[in-house]
Amino acid sequence: MPDIPRKKVGIVSCSGEEIPEGTISRIATRLVLEKLRPEDTVTICLPLFLAGGQEERAFARSYPTIAVDGCPKLCAKHGTERHSGQVTDVIVVSELLNGQEIKPGWRRSLDGQGMRLAEQVAEAIAGRVDSILKATHKEVEPDLIPVTIQDKAPLSRPAQEQTCACTAQGLPVMRIDVGGVSVGLAGLTAILEQAYALGKKPDQVTKTQLLETVKVYNYIPAGTEAEYAEALLREYAALCRRKER
Amino acid sequence: MSAHDKAIVIPCSGIGKVFGSVGREATYIVVDELRPGTAETLCLSLLVMGDQETVERLRGVPCIAADGCPKACAQKNIELAGGMSAASLRVVDTYKAHRELKPEGVTVLDESGRKLARFLSQEIASAVDRVVAGR
Repeated sequence: MPDIPRKKVGIVSCSGEEIPEGTISRIATRLVLEKLRPEDTVTICLPLFLAGGQEERAFARSYPTIAVDGCPKLCAKHGTERHSGQVTDVIVVSELLNGQEIKPGWRRSLDGQGMRLAEQVAEAIAGRVDSILKATHKEVEPDLIPVTIQDKAPLSRPAQEQTCACTAQGLPVMRIDVGGVSVGLAGLTAILEQAYALGKKPDQVTKTQLLETVKVYNYIPAGTEAEYAEALLREYAALCRRKER
Repeated sequence: MSAHDKAIVIPCSGIGKVFGSVGREATYIVVDELRPGTAETLCLSLLVMGDQETVERLRGVPCIAADGCPKACAQKNIELAGGMSAASLRVVDTYKAHRELKPEGVTVLDESGRKLARFLSQEIASAVDRVVAGR
């Protein structure tokens, strides 16, 4: 049975080296990845969108992504949207902690009081993660092709590294033609194989199911769903023909 | 190279691995303790976002990258922003010279991580001295 990894939410923190709110952003993000939602979240270093390759730049299209920004400049949000894809949610630490004392010395390291604020931000991030996963599940459940989900990433790695997309690898990407444009879709090979294993016919019902399942793992731009659905059905029909030769 | 008033030290944002935290801690040691008058840092994220004010701030000022992994995000982003790349240091190189240290803790660096950061900070401080003196 083909497997694809468990659906996860991406968290991109601003680096914020100059300000204490940046350090709170980074530590709050790590607390979510390590302690609060280790099985449900993944991160990437924001500068990798420019320094890395296509795989890194596909991050926000592969995962619904929360930007965690230290200040109103919103570097994580704007940097992600400029170089990768739309973010699903944004948390601005300076707004979330508005009215609470922020010490300049926290730029370098957090004391007990600073760590408590980071935990408060981490709880807010975890809440948003839960909301995104719940909404995604609810949206697609009726038409979802039941692809087997792994609890772990495909390669066995230390827990600390599994949360970093630049080392843990994203979903395998398959390229298809959508309206004359070559598009990479995460997890598509496994989804098509699973549909075939379930004996689904290449018909209109399967077309809808393919689209809804692909949407769990990929961002499909508004207004393009019909084109994507046609392309998915075409690929699935081709797979069926190859299998039946 | 001509002499300069200051240098900007930019660590990678390194949120996924311990070496990223080491590079950041080493940068803070340099700008806060070792060379507070001549070294400063800035948010690498601002370069990623293409913040014009930050790009202007880089203009004519030598930059020193402190990278935590081979992807060299700090170095590459300085170059992409049109900054003056004066030196590029990698945590892994410092680690190779101090293999007895096994740093752990991405969220909060352990003792080994802080020691490694101290060693790296000395190298960064030397680089700051060189580029500020125009050597």
